[in-house]
Amino acid sequence: MDELEQIKLTFFQECDELLADLESGLLAMEAGEGDSETVNAVFRAVHSVKGGAGAFALEALVRYAHVFETLLDDVRSNKIAASPELVRVLLRAADILADQVTAARTGGVPDEAATAAMVGELEGWINGQGGAAAPAPTQESPAGAPSAPTDELGIGFTPMTISIDDFAAEPTAAAPAAPTDELGIGFTPMQLDLAEFDAPAEEAPAGEQAWIITFHPHAALYAKANETALLLRELERLGPIEVSIDDSELVSLEHLDPESAYLSWIVRLTTDVAEEVIRDVFEFVSDDCELTIVREGQEEVAEPAAEAAPVDDVAALIAQINAEPVVAAPAQDEILPTVAAAPVVAAPAPVTPEPVVQAATPAAPAPAAAKAAPPKAAANEPAQPQATIRVDPERIDRLIDLVGELVINQAMLAQRVGEHGFAPSSDIAMGLDELEQLTRGIQDSVMAIRAQPVKSVFQRMPRLVREVANQTGKQVRLVMEGEGTEVDKTVIERLSDPITHMLRNAIDHGLESPEDRVAAGKNGEGTVRLAALHRGGRIVIEVQDDGRGINRGRVRQIAIDKGLISPDAVLTDEETDNLIFLPGFSTAAKVSDISGRGVGMDVVRRSVQALGGRISISSRPGEGSIFTLSLPLTLAVLDGMVIDVAGHTLVVPLTAIIESLRPKSEEIKALGPQGSVLAVRDTYVPLVDVGSVLGFRNDLMPATDGVVLLVENEDGGRAGLVADAIQGQRQVVIKSLESNYRQVDGIAAATILGDGRVALILDVDAVVALRRREPRAPEPILHAAE
Amino acid sequence: MAETVQQSTFDNREFIAFCIGEQEFCVDIMSVREIRGWSPATPLPQTPDYMRGVINLRGAVLPIMDLASRLGLQSNEPSERSVIIVVRMGERTIGLLVDAVSDILSVTQEMIQATPDVACDKVKSFVRGLITVEGRMISEIANERLLPELEALAA
Repeated sequence: MDELEQIKLTFFQECDELLADLESGLLAMEAGEGDSETVNAVFRAVHSVKGGAGAFALEALVRYAHVFETLLDDVRSNKIAASPELVRVLLRAADILADQVTAARTGGVPDEAATAAMVGELEGWINGQGGAAAPAPTQESPAGAPSAPTDELGIGFTPMTISIDDFAAEPTAAAPAAPTDELGIGFTPMQLDLAEFDAPAEEAPAGEQAWIITFHPHAALYAKANETALLLRELERLGPIEVSIDDSELVSLEHLDPESAYLSWIVRLTTDVAEEVIRDVFEFVSDDCELTIVREGQEEVAEPAAEAAPVDDVAALIAQINAEPVVAAPAQDEILPTVAAAPVVAAPAPVTPEPVVQAATPAAPAPAAAKAAPPKAAANEPAQPQATIRVDPERIDRLIDLVGELVINQAMLAQRVGEHGFAPSSDIAMGLDELEQLTRGIQDSVMAIRAQPVKSVFQRMPRLVREVANQTGKQVRLVMEGEGTEVDKTVIERLSDPITHMLRNAIDHGLESPEDRVAAGKNGEGTVRLAALHRGGRIVIEVQDDGRGINRGRVRQIAIDKGLISPDAVLTDEETDNLIFLPGFSTAAKVSDISGRGVGMDVVRRSVQALGGRISISSRPGEGSIFTLSLPLTLAVLDGMVIDVAGHTLVVPLTAIIESLRPKSEEIKALGPQGSVLAVRDTYVPLVDVGSVLGFRNDLMPATDGVVLLVENEDGGRAGLVADAIQGQRQVVIKSLESNYRQVDGIAAATILGDGRVALILDVDAVVALRRREPRAPEPILHAAE
Repeated sequence: MAETVQQSTFDNREFIAFCIGEQEFCVDIMSVREIRGWSPATPLPQTPDYMRGVINLRGAVLPIMDLASRLGLQSNEPSERSVIIVVRMGERTIGLLVDAVSDILSVTQEMIQATPDVACDKVKSFVRGLITVEGRMISEIANERLLPELEALAA
């Protein structure tokens, strides 16, 4: 892979993160939690995608991102209020952006029609809303929009009025003035009248004029593969340029750092375009250079580009405000004049804007710097998350395999030591105990490396919900909880499908149409809650809706019609609810595009069971249903009961076992020609002879000769597994049979025991199901090895 | 001259030859990962009888195929002198149980003859060609064909 491809790969990885940021930001705005920093973060995400896409000449992506970004910029500058309708549009726009990125990554073709429609919609907002709002000379901070009245710290925002009559194009207001913040520092609302400032930057250019552009790139600019020559070429497109180079900072050759930047350029550009357009040329490099753009003949003033430039006296400061109406812009790449944006309120420093303008003290530059600092910190936050490293997952998998082998080896060693009759107090046995603890510690740590928050799965769900809601014509609000819940990567990968199914089901079958909801006295908008939590060493995923609940009468009727249950079956409410998991069951009157695609809940349940998980549903008529999915935290190790069956050693997952018992002969009743049941506390459970089901022996072993493991399968049904003896309980490392062979009926996986031999892990449900399969073909008897 | 020698070395393929009963077979040496002695396998239920079960190969679960049984030959109970040839088949690694490893052969393509038509179905599907070395006839096993049936079973 060449270098460019490598960088491109990194870009797409970053895109994933940016798209996730984008979506979570928009969702926060939708929930009314967004402050102006959220809007900025959303804008930056799209902006960065666009910037990176530009570098790789991904034209379609750039074009789309540009329209999206333009609208977001209008939202950011409060030209357009972030109304709920707009946020919904933005969310769909974000979905399309994700599609575009995917298309760019795979080289595929994005959905042109959807993109064009969305571009039209976005442009409609830009033109329609922007034009309507623009002429207003003063504008209050839009309530519930970016500058929310209160943020989570409980800091109040008081909208203040700024008269900016001269800037008809940019009615940017909403400068914050909080009465008190957390620290008890008072902010005094100030009245800024910018009308008296002359604002050359915003005046529509009358005709051709000369601009002096001083451009001093930092090393970082070159490190990001930008090139001055290209920027100059872009400038030249705007008009004739005269370029001179400033090499005054150039050092002698022996001190020269080849990766550093020493040169500056001074460009005289004659053009009729506005300053903004010139500045746009430097859009992607504005963080990595010092850039001044002034009209020829005008006093040259340092303008905060990457950092707030130190300003020595108040006069210069005022001149700075004069020259460029950007006062402490929230982001450094800010171009449009945003006046005293909201983040200033969050500044911990006791700053009031007033001294900047009024007090003629040398201290003035400090507040200016302080004002610039907090937004900068906030701006850098997404770019510099806590120190993490990217590791190829294969390396971690290899490490986990090795640790698995270490665990096996340690167990083998322990067994050998035991065989040689060392006393538990002997040095060897004690050393071995320590080794065991260390091994466990290593294993836990390695598993923790691979643990990931379920967020990566959850963040795909809002989009799914939007799509399903659109298709079904239902209004849905998705509430997500516990996104930080960590679970092993092997489980994460398998969560997506069941969650998708559960959500589709909750919206399609659970929620009513808005009209029905209103008729039932509910909010027209249904709520679906998706939550993750740890419970009892497992991860539990809940999908809850506030819909109509399961129609038990209908479920029962369908189950009877389809011959799934007998007409006279007596079922509890819970049992009835869980009938929907039976194969061949589908309550949708017509097969809808969403849930009834032949892949029903039975398939979901089977795949969940294959992972050692359970899924169930409970429901209250009229109030909604709740799906509960529980899975082991990892698919790499398992707590199991080691049993002997006809000379074979098998492992039964502990999660399936309710209890083990040694039956008395009077508790066992024959039922049918071969079957027998065991009376356990007044209920009869069918007995399953594991040895004969698996073909380890031909004749049924009398249950009284062995032990019975009472197991519960996923439908809540119980069975008694007959085994010869129980060896003990052990944590085992799960080894797939499929990687080198194939799936074997009745066997979930294999593991390696302390003696180095392979033992099979029983698939309890499958074994119980195998027993039911009648008539059984005679199986060749397998002899235990040796 | 040197060039010709190099060329012919390049053309040579090497095979591991082994015995099952009286017959000799071989597999391409490039597919062989290792050769190890017999260790008791854990039988798998619900599998064809030529699957001997699985063994622990340094932490991995390795299925063992009784090649004699797979080829329809007389299968003997494995002894201490039985050998497992660990071969790679696509994504999978499996162990072939054979009686003994006999030789390493270096043969050119011309030395490999097509399987004659007289052979029975099993031989025809699993034997790719015949190699004659010092008067012995050695059948080359098409080991990738041992596997598709496994996949068909799994489906």
